[in-house]
Amino acid sequence: MDILAQLVVSGITVGMIYAVIAFGYQLTFATSETLNFGQGEALMVGALVGLTTINFLIGLNLGTLSAYLLMLPVIMAFGLLQGSIVEFLGVRKAIAIKSEAGWIMATIAIGIIIKNLAENIWGRDALKFPSPLAEASLQIGPVRIQPMEIAIVVGALLLMLAVELFNRRSIYGKAVVATANDRDAAGLMGINTKSVITFSYALSSMAAAFAGVLVAPITLTGASMGAVLGLKAFAVAIIGGLSSGIGLIVGGLILGITENLTGYYISSGYKDVPGLVLLLLVLSLKPSGLFGKATIKKV
Amino acid sequence: MLEVTNLSAGYGKVEVLHGLSIRIKPGQLVTLIGSNGAGKTTTLRALSGMIQPTAGSIKLRDTEIAGLNTHQVTKLGLAHSPEGRRVFSTLSVRDNLELGAFPRLTGARPKGDVQADIKRMFDMFPRLGERRDQLAGTLSGGEQQMLAMGRALMLNPDVLLLDEPSMGLAPKLVEDVFKTIRTLKQAKTTMLLVEQFAAAALDVADYGYVLENGRLSTEGEASKLRDDPAVKAAYLGQAH
Repeated sequence: MDILAQLVVSGITVGMIYAVIAFGYQLTFATSETLNFGQGEALMVGALVGLTTINFLIGLNLGTLSAYLLMLPVIMAFGLLQGSIVEFLGVRKAIAIKSEAGWIMATIAIGIIIKNLAENIWGRDALKFPSPLAEASLQIGPVRIQPMEIAIVVGALLLMLAVELFNRRSIYGKAVVATANDRDAAGLMGINTKSVITFSYALSSMAAAFAGVLVAPITLTGASMGAVLGLKAFAVAIIGGLSSGIGLIVGGLILGITENLTGYYISSGYKDVPGLVLLLLVLSLKPSGLFGKATIKKV
Repeated sequence: MLEVTNLSAGYGKVEVLHGLSIRIKPGQLVTLIGSNGAGKTTTLRALSGMIQPTAGSIKLRDTEIAGLNTHQVTKLGLAHSPEGRRVFSTLSVRDNLELGAFPRLTGARPKGDVQADIKRMFDMFPRLGERRDQLAGTLSGGEQQMLAMGRALMLNPDVLLLDEPSMGLAPKLVEDVFKTIRTLKQAKTTMLLVEQFAAAALDVADYGYVLENGRLSTEGEASKLRDDPAVKAAYLGQAH
């Protein structure tokens, strides 16, 4: 029973990371019906830039926690920039000519280029990321939790909440929602919908970079950390539905927890299977996702 | 206020409009009538930059707006209440109205008092006031039409384009729509109205243009067009 609780708790941590990355997919899909298939690489490069930044700051005699907090705005700005570049190079033209698939290859290609660059700059080995919080686990009831695991869950929720608040309260956020609703009509309101789409890509990569430095202290950092996370978050986005915020969190938790349970009770070799089986089930039974609304595409 | 000269536009390689010239004076209500497929909606889309004109000039006040993007045209003061209403269904009535004032709230147009204008819209369309916090997608067709018009008015536009405001509405609601248009006319709003109900449109308008297969066939004072035998026969449903 204790082990079960323990597995569920670590599953929640991983699941929240999936949810944040999937949230990034959702942001761009809402405004442009495209997504960045290099999202995993955006996470990876965010984490590595974060690693260099935090090591630099620690070199300035800052404590790990203050270095980590100071590093956050840096990698968020980096994510915003990286996402804008992806949109500008890979997506903008494809949207302009209403290409159905051009952006898919383009965003995958940019992801591969980023990965190769990262391998050459940071090497191929996994690197240790300084943990801003104590690494000793806390005993809470039957389970042991690392403080950083709590920080992941809280940080992930805060990020999604902040974006949601921005969308609901500020006029620019409402412009984003309007663009997601009806791009032509948003243009008629004087909203530059191209900029909104660029912004959503920027925000999407920012979320990924943030997820990267959240997860890095409890895993390791390296050029190869992104691909699997990006793919699993994509599964989460499909399971939860690309239009539902709650769906992403639920989808992330389902995937994170089932992975952990399978890894322990069946075999770590089958760890990825239940999530993918669930993905296939959802696609065949409710293609819009567990929480997604079916949309009718007008042609 | 709006001067269109030899405007041509279309979709891809298909030209739909072949050299239209339209003039709207300040405070004037001009209507564009014609049968289905004549190019009425296309004309409005070309004016607001939703499609790019292939030739001709569009001057708003004295600024050339042909070739600009939709959002730029809007910021210059042209509001377009589109065919099919196109309200933002997952946003509240209030948010929809606020978005109509987006250029004012973001410094692209003089701000004025946006909140007071929203209140003015609620006075003009009491049904919207009652439903201010409801999502626009849950409104009835008539209410959505009111919202689309209110949203366009929130720009404080120099010219308002209205595309088929009566489309799909019950007769009672069509009356309401025309009542609103009359009110706006009394307030000296400069408008271009595209309508399928040609008779009602000519009743309320100052001046009218008749569009046939992408070309203007007739124009004149609305009261004269109403009595024009050819217009009557073709558009007003009176053969004799």
